[in-house]
Amino acid sequence: MSGLVCRDVVARYRHGGDVLHGVDLEGPHGAITALIGPNGSGKSTLLKAIVGIVRARGSVVIDGDDARAMTAAERARRVAYVPQRSLLSAPLPVHVVVAQGRFTHRHSFARMRDEDRAAVQSAMADADVEHLACRPFTELSGGEAQRVLIARALATGASVVLLDEPTSSQDVRHALELHAVLGRLRERETAIVACLHDLSEVRGLADRAVLLDAGRVHAAGPAAEIVSNEHVAQVYGVEIVDGAGLGYRMLDRTGGPS
Amino acid sequence: MSRTGWTWTALVSALLVASIASLLVGEGDLGDDEMRATFLRLRSWRLANAALAGAALAGAGVLVQGLFRNPLASPSILGTSAGASLGGVVVLVVWNGLLAESLASRIPPELLLPMGCLAGAWMSLVVLLVVTGKDAGIVTVLLTGFILSSLFLSVGGLLMSIAQESWELGRAVVAFTLGGVDAKGPRHAALAFPMVAVTTAVAIGWGRHLDLMLSGEDEARSLGVDVRLVRRWVIVWAATLTAAAVAIGGNVAFVGLVVPHALRPFIGEEHRRLFPAALVGGAAFLVAADVVTRALPTTGNVPLGVVTGLIGAPLFLVLLARASREGRIA
Repeated sequence: MSGLVCRDVVARYRHGGDVLHGVDLEGPHGAITALIGPNGSGKSTLLKAIVGIVRARGSVVIDGDDARAMTAAERARRVAYVPQRSLLSAPLPVHVVVAQGRFTHRHSFARMRDEDRAAVQSAMADADVEHLACRPFTELSGGEAQRVLIARALATGASVVLLDEPTSSQDVRHALELHAVLGRLRERETAIVACLHDLSEVRGLADRAVLLDAGRVHAAGPAAEIVSNEHVAQVYGVEIVDGAGLGYRMLDRTGGPS
Repeated sequence: MSRTGWTWTALVSALLVASIASLLVGEGDLGDDEMRATFLRLRSWRLANAALAGAALAGAGVLVQGLFRNPLASPSILGTSAGASLGGVVVLVVWNGLLAESLASRIPPELLLPMGCLAGAWMSLVVLLVVTGKDAGIVTVLLTGFILSSLFLSVGGLLMSIAQESWELGRAVVAFTLGGVDAKGPRHAALAFPMVAVTTAVAIGWGRHLDLMLSGEDEARSLGVDVRLVRRWVIVWAATLTAAAVAIGGNVAFVGLVVPHALRPFIGEEHRRLFPAALVGGAAFLVAADVVTRALPTTGNVPLGVVTGLIGAPLFLVLLARASREGRIA
């Protein structure tokens, strides 16, 4: 299968136990795959393991090539990663931050080429951050900063894009615009894997879903099937209720309404 | 003209003015036709060495601030300068003291000092990184740097006491430890210049790597930076620049902190722009500070580090207070 394929991924942090216990994940081209699960289930760790931030065992294959055999630069050209928050505390202008996405496309002393400029421009337009181009990154709101990080990921031109809770800091309008951006990427045959918390968003946005629970895959398949009362009740301990509060009702420990 | 253009104009003008003042100010009357050429030659070498040491320290400051993602870092605050100074003292003691009768003692100390300083600077940065770890907060880094600095100065003091047994060696060690660019000649400049020039060329080439490191190692790695390689080489470059500066001018504090910080509002954070500007700014700053040591109405020589410390220490306190107010102290 082309796109992203992970098999039996096991990961642990340096001073802790295993966070992932043999996770399988498929992120095909032209599809949005939602990675869902309760807090601490290993969603973010899986994304970090794929891009090499967290050391992991198992197999990560990108379009048929073993990611473990790739250099950091090769991997970055193939997989783009959008963290939930950036640690960047220096006031670099937004256009410089987005241009960092072209890092692996240029030699050390090389200037930006026309194709680099075009990629940066297009990424900024797609993520709706053109008007922020000269603003210092450190002066942006959480939502603006996250869109800049998304633009940086788009500028890489990678065929696989991983996003860690991309809409968590977005207002409703920008969340919907981000959905549109991801939709356009899907049309361009990009493989998209996104950690998401909002299950109604998963149903509206994703084609496929992988439900993680305590570092293991509980269920995987079409998003509409995975975000069902059966799985949600087993993993989250809640029941989906249309028109109620957050859209859910608490269940007691036996699975009945509390 | 852009803000960057104005800044560069100001930097070059400052360097020119400081250089002219450096040639004109000092003991000795330039009106003396017989001695004028000698005075100017001596002051020219003093000027060249001050400019090189200042450029090297400011460049090292930019590099360690990028490496630690911390604008409060500088070679003197992290203990790198003290480590380089200790390395220089060790070389002086070993070569001039323990091996006094051997062939090695016939090698001029100007040749050996940079090597000792390099080893000391490199060792201090490696120890700092090992002790603090990669994601240490500002306080951890600063405290560790302070402790290392104290340790290196203590060991240096011990060696200085041992060196006092030999009058000549003791004099050499004390002169090196006090620092300053007076009595520094072409051999000092010729040895330090390649270290500064090569390091500068390579460091500018790696500017984009350092920009990415500002986002933390995880993000940098995800964007394709070979983080371990960058860390290793940045340590080597920062240590080389610090060693070159200490070999010329001794342990001159705060240049690496003051200059990059003063330039950031005008030049920005991008290393490819900030690094060369810091070199020129550092050169201008230390040449000017050296002029001040000569212009002060004192009977004895004022050490160069006293002037840089009087400017740098208050600025450091202001930066620390601001970081504390903004909640960046961790």
